Amino acid sequence: MYGEKAVELIRQLHRSPDGSLPPFNEDGIRQVLEEMRVLFEQNQADVNKTVDGAPGLFPGVQLRHAALERNKRCLLAYMFNRMERLRAMRWEFGSVLPPDIKYNLSEQEIQWFSRYNKSLAAYMRSIGGPSGGGLDLTQDLKPPKSLYIEVRCLMDHGEFETEDGTILLLKKDSQHFLQRSQCEHLIRQGVLEHIL
Amino acid sequence: MFVTDIRKEFYDKVVHERVLVLVAFDVDALCACKILQYLFQCDHVQYTIVPITGRQELENAFLEHSEQVKYVVMINCGGNINILETLQPAEHVIFFIADSHRPVDLVNVYNDDQVKLLMPTTDDFDIPAYDDLFKDDESDDDSGNESDSSAPSGKRRRLDEEVLERRRERRLWEEKRKQILLDYEEFSTYGTSSAMIMFDLAWKMSKDSNDLLWWGIVGLTDQYINNRVERGKYMTDVGDLHKHTLRLNHRNEDDDNTVSVDCMRIYFDEELKLALYRHWSLFESLKHSSYPACKFKMWTVKGQQKMHEFLADMGLPLVQVKQKFTSMDMGLKESFKGLFTASCEKYGLDDISFGSFIAQYGYKNKLCAADVVYAVNGLMECVEAEKSATGYFLEALDCLSRQNVKKLLRGLDLAKRQLTTIMQTVHSFIDMKQIISAGPFLYAYIPEGHPDVKFFSRPNCLGMLAYFMQEAYVATSRSRRSTLLPMVVAAPLNAETGSALVIGIPPKAEESTKNFFGRAFEQAAIQTNSRTLHDNFDTSIIEMKSEDRSKFFDALISLLS
Amino acid sequence: MFAPCVKYPTRLRENYFSIDDILTTQEKVPCKFQSSVLGLGFLDPGAEGTDLAAGTAMELPYWLARALCSRKRRIVTVEMPKPYREGYRQILSADANVVDLHKLGPYYYAFGIYLQSFGQPDAGEISNTLLQTFSTRFRRIMDSAQNCLNEDTTAVTGKLDELERVLFRVGQEGLTAFHCWQSGQSAKIVPSTMVTNYRKRKRQDGD
Repeated sequence: MYGEKAVELIRQLHRSPDGSLPPFNEDGIRQVLEEMRVLFEQNQADVNKTVDGAPGLFPGVQLRHAALERNKRCLLAYMFNRMERLRAMRWEFGSVLPPDIKYNLSEQEIQWFSRYNKSLAAYMRSIGGPSGGGLDLTQDLKPPKSLYIEVRCLMDHGEFETEDGTILLLKKDSQHFLQRSQCEHLIRQGVLEHIL
Repeated sequence: MFVTDIRKEFYDKVVHERVLVLVAFDVDALCACKILQYLFQCDHVQYTIVPITGRQELENAFLEHSEQVKYVVMINCGGNINILETLQPAEHVIFFIADSHRPVDLVNVYNDDQVKLLMPTTDDFDIPAYDDLFKDDESDDDSGNESDSSAPSGKRRRLDEEVLERRRERRLWEEKRKQILLDYEEFSTYGTSSAMIMFDLAWKMSKDSNDLLWWGIVGLTDQYINNRVERGKYMTDVGDLHKHTLRLNHRNEDDDNTVSVDCMRIYFDEELKLALYRHWSLFESLKHSSYPACKFKMWTVKGQQKMHEFLADMGLPLVQVKQKFTSMDMGLKESFKGLFTASCEKYGLDDISFGSFIAQYGYKNKLCAADVVYAVNGLMECVEAEKSATGYFLEALDCLSRQNVKKLLRGLDLAKRQLTTIMQTVHSFIDMKQIISAGPFLYAYIPEGHPDVKFFSRPNCLGMLAYFMQEAYVATSRSRRSTLLPMVVAAPLNAETGSALVIGIPPKAEESTKNFFGRAFEQAAIQTNSRTLHDNFDTSIIEMKSEDRSKFFDALISLLS
Repeated sequence: MFAPCVKYPTRLRENYFSIDDILTTQEKVPCKFQSSVLGLGFLDPGAEGTDLAAGTAMELPYWLARALCSRKRRIVTVEMPKPYREGYRQILSADANVVDLHKLGPYYYAFGIYLQSFGQPDAGEISNTLLQTFSTRFRRIMDSAQNCLNEDTTAVTGKLDELERVLFRVGQEGLTAFHCWQSGQSAKIVPSTMVTNYRKRKRQDGD
């Protein structure tokens, strides 16, 4: 049946768990496009024949047209949903993606991601006017209750330089009392654990 | 040097700085650390906490974390080693040491700039006088100078006499110094609990609360449970804490003035020497607590009978005794303590209770200090492979917070397993007569293939085993002398490297906590060239190669006879 | 939370890009061709010849059936799929709670609503059944979502249709959030779920 390959792309996305992206299925997309090309050419031919007076071709054209529309929808949805996930990843993983996720992206997606990064950064810088110094929107996702928080290292992270220039060694199982703003990212990345 | 005003000389110094806190692996240190964390958090003092298992790790941790750190606080570690020599710190680094291990290293005592000892001056230190220990080094030099100088011979002779005289003096002084040092370092023992010192600090800063007080209490109780405090000193310290308890829990208990159940209340009470009975069944607790178990000689049939008789005498039905304590009949639960102490007197268990504290919060949580000690220790020395040792250290640190009751409950279960293992090991050792009187001391060795061997690779658990064994041996032995014998227990530590953990404990009859094994182990190791590792801050706990065990113990026997 | 991905954008509302909607419209509808379709005989594996003859019965995906069954020109006529017919409707009205809806169609409700558009005579009854079924089962879903904390819920969710699963998950999240708040943990900064899931998967791969 027409459209099967396109739906397969969608199913692939549907099956992959939250927070992951399956490899960009370039081959699948090419096959769908090929199917669409054939559909289009056949329709073109049938329409020409009908204009020339051949009867009974309409149902076929109708069917193929529906298949074309369906394929288009699936392809667009495939691209759109991948982009949505990629955008969510910017907020979850930060501006640098883990290499094996990046490996699964298409060239255009990588470009899109870096452009999204740039515009987000530019927007955050612009908040508060030119002298305001900007606002990091990815921070304080929960309203902060205190300036400092206690954190525990869950893995060896190496040295970490705080904003005031002090250097800390984040070694597994060491516990630190730090400014919240400085370690929130590391907590989100699972390097540190927030101890209440 | 000793700090006299802990607030001014310690806290006010570090209050705007970054502090590195090194914490040893014992419950007292954990409690002290908790109190200090609370204080630091109030004042936004940035700190880094690193768990420390032994001397080697102390050095590593200092090296790794000391960058840009000016202030280092050590809790229950570092006091009895020469910090400056061991760590080679930069000159601006200042160490604050709260350590209950004694004797304190004398260089630490007499260093005025870099080492500050947070220890109460009321403790009995017996520090030798400065002049007896250190002499300005001029006299060293002039012997060298003399030989080089080309002074006239007459003058020289007189000088020679002078020099000789001086040398003789120096030799005498050195001998005396050696003797003084020997005397000073002969015994290892323990001083005031670090948690109490930290609580004292909190109190002086008017930041004390029931939570902090509870940690102080648990720290002290840890010393009591692990035989690290003499009875007299314990009573005094309990008295101190009792005053704080009254002060912090003083409320007119009328209807308008009731506290919410979620608030923590602490009160003083006579506690029974029954481990964890509130969270176990009475029957199990009786069996697993060293005092009643050894009194009844629970490992014999007769002992079992006697215990049943004892329970019958109390008027407690066996069904009730064997079910969970929390599910016992309300009436029995309330009257049980009175009945119990009365029967104890009758059966010669005079020493069944000790003064301790109970904390209560919420409807469910009623904890006595000793149970918390067992639980925290159980969690800290957990042998499951799920986490690393430091991971369990942090779990133990967490479970001291009130909101983490769940972790504490897990700790209680782990503690029960620890106690069960200890009890079973003691029973089998007594049955098989594997506790040997080696002459000057009692000796037991946990063999490699023992199923629960991993439990005893942790110092505190091994210590509990040693004390239980000693008590059990004394209870079964007919000889009077057995109470005068110290005990040594060895257990395999790591099968791969073939190492063993060895602990020595003082005789049962000894009232004080003085332990001479630290020095004895050292001597025996030197004499026999045994490969030992004196890594633990407790000098009476060492690691050694299992192969060297027999020659090491031969030397130890001849040394102590 | 501010993060721009609203959590269930595609789940509860249909839109052009919605994955769930695409999968719903992929469900099969039994159809019968009213006029022959030239040159597309290969679509029916049982047919012989190059054309789809009029009167051929075959199952078409909803999107295709919809396109071929417009009011103006009926190229195919449709029948209701089995799970929506009288027999199943009776089962559902007897006790909707015991039915494995996921087996009847992972998107039972959504697909049922789509089927209305064919204007079949029993459309009204189907919609009644859907409503009845949903309201009977919803109570149970809400109950179980609110009352199992940290348990394996696969046995419960196994029999739910996709919409119900979403509701169940929302309920569960509400429950955990409430417990979090109750134990004073809600101020805790937690690692992003994506990161934790990612790490977990990586660890599993590593093993």
